[in-house]
Amino acid sequence: MKRATHTLLYGYLLVGLFVTMFLVHCGLTALTVTVPEKATVNERVTFVMHSGAEPRIEEPGTYTTQLLAGIMVPKSWNARTNAVLTFTSPKGNGVLRMIPDSEIEPVSGVSWHQAAKNMFGIGPNLVDDFEWIVYRSTQSYTFRNNEDIDFDVNVECNVGSENMLVKLGFYVGSSIENLRPEDTDYKKVAFSQSFEVTGGEGDLIDFVNPQLATVQPVRSLDNDIITLMFDAGVTQTALENEDDIYLTIQGFDEAGLLVAEVNEQTGKTRLTSIGGKRFLIDFWPRGYFSLESVQRIARLEYFVTDASGIRRVGYGNTDEPFTYTFRCQ
Amino acid sequence: MKTNLVASTVFMALGLVGLSSCEDGISEMATEETVKDITGSWKVVQLTRNGEDLSQRLDLSDFRIDFNADGTYTLAEQLPFIADASGSYRLSDPQYPFSLILRPAGIEEDVVARFQFPTVAGKRQLSLSFSLGCESNTYQYNFERENQDL
Repeated sequence: MKRATHTLLYGYLLVGLFVTMFLVHCGLTALTVTVPEKATVNERVTFVMHSGAEPRIEEPGTYTTQLLAGIMVPKSWNARTNAVLTFTSPKGNGVLRMIPDSEIEPVSGVSWHQAAKNMFGIGPNLVDDFEWIVYRSTQSYTFRNNEDIDFDVNVECNVGSENMLVKLGFYVGSSIENLRPEDTDYKKVAFSQSFEVTGGEGDLIDFVNPQLATVQPVRSLDNDIITLMFDAGVTQTALENEDDIYLTIQGFDEAGLLVAEVNEQTGKTRLTSIGGKRFLIDFWPRGYFSLESVQRIARLEYFVTDASGIRRVGYGNTDEPFTYTFRCQ
Repeated sequence: MKTNLVASTVFMALGLVGLSSCEDGISEMATEETVKDITGSWKVVQLTRNGEDLSQRLDLSDFRIDFNADGTYTLAEQLPFIADASGSYRLSDPQYPFSLILRPAGIEEDVVARFQFPTVAGKRQLSLSFSLGCESNTYQYNFERENQDL
């Protein structure tokens, strides 16, 4: 009996050792991406992911899996409906299909897309208006030991109608490994250099460079709860070394007429410090401006000021106000 | 060693007997889902926007919603919520509700919030999610009953 137990124990240890060796020595090679520097609005652009597989499997074992690929793009591109992902490899070419929202990523317990967003975030971008979308090859592929291959995933996608500067996110993985936080072999992530979309109407949406002031969510209406952030570390301003920062703000309707304003230096308008010279204030515009039910605000103009309200900072560190337009598209 | 083997066999047999004896009991138990009762006064304990927790950053201490037994609800004051006036309410299903349907007074249209009724840390929570402005922004309000412990 004792001997049998020992044999069992050694067996477990041996299996464990194999599994560990397999985990350490098998996996995907680093992901690189080819992304053009710029495109014009609504152009259909191709991005290419380059990676490879390095299977180190104890003979005669094999490893069968489906290829996973993910993209992180601005929500406004509607990539869910218009992106097409294909791949080329020595083991054959194929297409990748978007994983249904209803399918749960087993480790995180949420959808694959949400799991990727939670795990990879928005990379080097500073403003979040992105979605991760994860795709899976329609076929499975079986690898033998040392069957090293390189493969490319091609992403074709329309870039939307807004001018923007953005760094896109890419992911490749193996379907049977899921999105385990500790895994570094079967999930490879890369973010592109800055990609610019030009030729559209409206201001440039800059996701990449630090901004003096931002509003989150990027898309909202006056009945949303919005967060206004001031980053005093971006450049030297009149509010350098100031700890008490206040908001002075005006709301305008569609016709450009002033609907309401809040111009006071009180608890209502004081921004909270969140460290690193950054300050924020959250508010519900309809309540903040005490709007009547028929009143609508289409656009905000605002400054940040010191406690006296005299020293103030506006757009690009000028006397012009920061602006924010309420919109959903 | 032999004793261990005998003991474990006996133990396993007992376990199996135990399992099979449970079977009848379980099948005879009433499995009727209770009717969800949300009457009472509810206060906000957590608010998230697109998954980001705003509870500590916004003053929600005055936010109250009362669900009355006569099918009406009362809002304490004007606050960011799917309804800006008091009115009547109903659940999409008395036992398995997926949504809470509000009809604010003076409005000819229902407003609907996704409804969950979990128990968190031993306390019943009323969890409502909905959009306020853009549909891309989702808010989740988690309420707790006031004076629940009394």
